[in-house]
Amino acid sequence: MSRQDHIREFAAQALADGRVDYFIGWKQGYNSSEVVPAFVKDPADVDQLIWTPLCHHNLVTFIKRNMPDPADAKIGLCVKGCDSRTLVALLQEELVDKEKLYVVGVPCDGIVDRRKLEKEFADELVDIAFPERGRVVVTTGKGETREFAQDDVLLDVCGRCRYPNALYADDVAGPLEAEPDREESGPDWSDIADFENLSDDEKQAALERVYATCIRCFACVHVCPVCVCWDKCVNRSREPELVAQKVGAKENLLFQMIHMFHVAGRCTSCGACDRACPVEIPLYLLHRKMNKEIYDMFGFEPGTKLDEKPVFQLFDLATDHFGD
Amino acid sequence: MAIRFLKQDQLPAFLGQLAEKARVVAPVKTDGVVQFQPWVSGQDVELDVLLAKQSPKEYVFLQTETYLKFGYEMVKPEAAGGDTAAEEADPVSVDDAAVEVAIPYETVTVEPQNEAPAQVIFGLRPCDARGFVQMDQVFGGYGGFYYDPLYNARREATTLLAVTCREPRSTCFCTAIGGGPAGEEGVDALFTQVDGGFVVEALTEKGEAALAAAGAALTDATDAQIAAAGEVKTAAGAKIDVPFALEGIRDNLHDNIADDRWHDQAMRCISCGTCTYVCPSCYCFSINDELVESTGERYRVWDNCFNPLYTEETSGHNPRAQKSNRFRNRFSHKFWYYPDKYDSLLCSGCGRCIMNCPTRIDIREIVRVMGAPAPAVAAGAASEAPAATGDAPAVAEGKEA
Ligand code: SF4
Ligand code: SF4
Ligand code: SF4
Ligand code: SF4
Repeated sequence: MSRQDHIREFAAQALADGRVDYFIGWKQGYNSSEVVPAFVKDPADVDQLIWTPLCHHNLVTFIKRNMPDPADAKIGLCVKGCDSRTLVALLQEELVDKEKLYVVGVPCDGIVDRRKLEKEFADELVDIAFPERGRVVVTTGKGETREFAQDDVLLDVCGRCRYPNALYADDVAGPLEAEPDREESGPDWSDIADFENLSDDEKQAALERVYATCIRCFACVHVCPVCVCWDKCVNRSREPELVAQKVGAKENLLFQMIHMFHVAGRCTSCGACDRACPVEIPLYLLHRKMNKEIYDMFGFEPGTKLDEKPVFQLFDLATDHFGD
Repeated sequence: MAIRFLKQDQLPAFLGQLAEKARVVAPVKTDGVVQFQPWVSGQDVELDVLLAKQSPKEYVFLQTETYLKFGYEMVKPEAAGGDTAAEEADPVSVDDAAVEVAIPYETVTVEPQNEAPAQVIFGLRPCDARGFVQMDQVFGGYGGFYYDPLYNARREATTLLAVTCREPRSTCFCTAIGGGPAGEEGVDALFTQVDGGFVVEALTEKGEAALAAAGAALTDATDAQIAAAGEVKTAAGAKIDVPFALEGIRDNLHDNIADDRWHDQAMRCISCGTCTYVCPSCYCFSINDELVESTGERYRVWDNCFNPLYTEETSGHNPRAQKSNRFRNRFSHKFWYYPDKYDSLLCSGCGRCIMNCPTRIDIREIVRVMGAPAPAVAAGAASEAPAATGDAPAVAEGKEA
């Protein structure tokens, strides 16, 4: 039984039993090269749910995004390993109630970066197929077809994934994926090595350059599962107006610095912000740098242990330091 | 006006000549992303992706545009020549006439901003040009209601040199709403790619003037080239799907305003606003005053209906408190309220909102579903639900149970 079949079965069962009011998974988008989040209410509709290496959306984002759900709405959802970390982070902070969730863990062998594929062709992509594990076959509007090895076109975050299996789930869609030896090797920070080697002035210039093209659409903030202020984001507030609404390299950078500090010790490097940004700004730069600082200082990896307290909740005013 | 031909290898020379007289804006690729940018000699113009991430509206309706700068200062008249320390210690002791004139006074300066450099936008598509026409109605004093001097100054100083869409994308639906891959509305001159270059047609005086300014790079088109351009246009039009028929959409959107299905449709929307900022016709903005110490500026900046602050009132009440209320507005504005006012649509079918939405919300599907009559069962259920009893939008948009 494929993972997709497991997902459909779990969803149908949970809906039929009344265990959930709706179930969040993934379905095909406007063509078969696109996948979008799916919200299924009726067990008869579970056949639209799919599982392919295009299912990049972190569905944890949507737990809190659909007010006015009645406060007691029960939600089912699929989580990959990385997604489960954002869920654990929210559970640690008691921002979601696990009694109202039904979580299906989906062991993941790596998500394909559609943008990497797009850049291989002048033409639009109309189909991405996975004839078997590890093979990716792309077809364009004009009918050109080319095959790629999945490992060559993965999202960068997947290339350094340490948690392919969900860290928190009620049910699991099929056998687990092989896990790296996490005792043996720590997180891989090579993606920010170039940035770290810059001087302070160069860092400032590099950040101003990448954020200069930001259009302030706020997709990065709104898609972030651990950004929880949502409708009350300080970056948009006009009363008081703490961040200038005007668009410019310095203003944009300030806005992103605030985002970085608000998710410090909470960002799980899921990469949702990077993928949502319409102008492809490398948002990981700031977030990953902050994650590394926190890892180096406190040995803390956000969203990895359900019974752990988030690092910034451990600060003790009396002793002026974190935890014991 | 004669139909001309621009050889592919003459494109840089053509743009170079235009650039001597005006700023040239064209789609250029930087770090893998194609956006309209001020073109500088030597840069490749990127036409293969069809659509830049954003429409070129940013060059006429600036994302951030300063209306005026202001400031105030305390001026101490020189004539006083008096004892500053004494004044500061006791500024109200004015019985001496010499001291009286020495009282500092406040001056306020206001400096309006209004610059509109001549510019030529090359490489936009007919749907992009149509977006300008749709915005013109709002900013251009339609019916004498409103005239925006900043927008219009820039608009008048701008020439639009559009390129026919030889290879439309699967997300294009311009033909469904009265346009086309070689549409002429708003276009000053149209460039159609054929073997070896572009067939160039001036459509307005502005377009003719631009072509005359760069005439050295152009030749007369041959009959064969003109015929080839005609074939490209016809073939392109035939490639575009028509996802919906326009009849009835406006009325159905009106009838469906309190329909619960809006909530279902909005489920995967993250309420970001990307769709509005890439759109060639979304024109909403907000106005900010920003003061630092004693100087500041008043500027407008793009805003959008997905922003919860967009409709928040001073009292704190928000008539569109929920995501689904805001979501509904975008589509209703484009296919109902705007058409009611201006008798045309506020969408040119470019498909940018579809392909740039983080969750690929498809405007074609929304219009197809919510622009159709409500299914009988759903309509009955909605009228029984207490939350949907209000007829007026203000009630329907209020806090729902
Ligand atoms: S900041 Fe970006 S990478 Fe970090 S949790 Fe939020 S969306 Fe994920
Ligand atoms: S998603 Fe990208 S363009 Fe939008 S606000 Fe974030 S960084 Fe800016
Ligand atoms: S609403 Fe979407 S398809 Fe229509 S003009 Fe705007 S971006 Fe293009
Ligand atoms: S429709 Fe898409 S782009 Fe528009 S606000 Fe919603 S999620 Fe963002």
